[in-house]
Amino acid sequence: MALRPSPIDEDLFSRIRDRVAIVGIGQIGFSKDIGRPISATAIEAISLALEDAGLSGRDVDGMSMFEMERTHEVTIARGLGVENLRWWDKVSYGGGASCATVMHAAAAIATGLASVVVCHRARNRGAKDARPWAQEKDVVTDDKALHTPWGLIRPVDVIGMWAHRHMHLYGTRREHFGNVAVAARKHAQRNPQAMMRDRPLDMETYLAGRVIGEPLTLYDCCLETDGALACVVTSVERARDLRHQVVYVHSVAQASGPNPVHLANYNNAPDLLTTSTWCADQLWERSELAPKDMHCAQIYDAFTPLVITGLEDYGFCARGEGGPFTEGGRIELGGELPVLTSGGGLSEAYVHGFNLVLEGVRQVRGTSTAQVEGCRNVLVTGASGVATSALVLRGD
Amino acid sequence: MDFLFEPHLHSDYPLPDVDHPLTRPFWEGCRAGELRIQRDPETGLHHWPPKPAIFRGKLLEWVAVSGRGTVFSYVVAREPFLPALRHLLPLVLVLVELEEGPRLVGYMVGCTPADMRFGLPVRVRFKVLTDRVTLPVWEPAP
Repeated sequence: MALRPSPIDEDLFSRIRDRVAIVGIGQIGFSKDIGRPISATAIEAISLALEDAGLSGRDVDGMSMFEMERTHEVTIARGLGVENLRWWDKVSYGGGASCATVMHAAAAIATGLASVVVCHRARNRGAKDARPWAQEKDVVTDDKALHTPWGLIRPVDVIGMWAHRHMHLYGTRREHFGNVAVAARKHAQRNPQAMMRDRPLDMETYLAGRVIGEPLTLYDCCLETDGALACVVTSVERARDLRHQVVYVHSVAQASGPNPVHLANYNNAPDLLTTSTWCADQLWERSELAPKDMHCAQIYDAFTPLVITGLEDYGFCARGEGGPFTEGGRIELGGELPVLTSGGGLSEAYVHGFNLVLEGVRQVRGTSTAQVEGCRNVLVTGASGVATSALVLRGD
Repeated sequence: MDFLFEPHLHSDYPLPDVDHPLTRPFWEGCRAGELRIQRDPETGLHHWPPKPAIFRGKLLEWVAVSGRGTVFSYVVAREPFLPALRHLLPLVLVLVELEEGPRLVGYMVGCTPADMRFGLPVRVRFKVLTDRVTLPVWEPAP
């Protein structure tokens, strides 16, 4: 009989649950081509987050970021005026790392390895050489050699395999994907920072979208955005002395699922399941809250079908019912479970999901531009498909 | 086995590193016109994607498989696409479930998007790109 991982140690995990908080958020304006180095934008965004918290660079002793970041921790620390960095970490797998940066920070704080940790994502994709194949090496190695030589390289096609299978198995329709795109766009109209503000999208326009990789079209795809965003994580004791209402880190999880590969995870289950399936198990096992307690959800949306499968993976509906779940305005502001209230990657900005973390904080604080009334509990998730992560944030 | 050929290989084609230790036996098999994947000699179970080693560093063996399977999912790619494969558009990217169980990524030849359906039986063909690189591709089974 195979050994199973030990059940979680409640006593140890209770050091994180509601004992760590996000106390500051900051971002600079999104754009298509920001024209400044990511080292500079990272320092600016982190500074804004520290100011938001009422802290300075001298308070920082920990740093957590995406592995994709090309700036050294020490370069950022030097810019911020950090006196001594005591703990740092880079989390792998692209958008799978978004919530994990906060999770790792929370673990560092809970164990005393650091006291104030800054997490960030600074992305410069720009308009130049933006196609995925333009960044490919001449010779493809490792896991990538198992799909790239056939031309399966655009993320839209990688996700399209899941989306098409889901349509086949469960009768999910393009209108269901469209409900996600339309909801995100609608929320973006209220967000002055959103790239797609003043560019509304209706179902008719969605359905007429240019096919990119059938069954997915232009409006199923996220934006390509430059931006820099950051948050500050510290203990709840310290958070109570700071400027804002306390936003508790309630539950955290990372998961790869079985038999994982870097991207095209098509051999992890009897059918095509995303890595979020395993992440959700961990997240809710560690949580005193359940899906029904969430007042909104910021579900990673590089492509619209990931929100449909995310609703299933994270337990808001049964497997196969993610499509119908989106009907009747249920995922829009005023609905039962608003998703992507800032506009998300589809309509606010695509910065590997870090904007979803910040929107989760705003919803708990009550300061979103699409504020869910009485919102206390928020789910935030990282990229499905790749090894991923998720957070439950809550307020008092 | 009749090989297919790519007569005008684009200079930016994303060629695989066929000498990479993780996948070298796979590409050797393709050059010989044989689809090979990993199998655990103790359990007889096929493994995919390949593993550099398993528990205690034990190595899996590479064995020939049937080359037959069914369409598990597919995507019909359109522009904008990789310059090196643009001449194949609309390209049917396919996820094939082998008779042996594992699922492999590939693309279809000898059929149009309209011929595609879930569960379609397919068989492997081999397409020669360079003297080192031969790619397994898929066509509807006769």
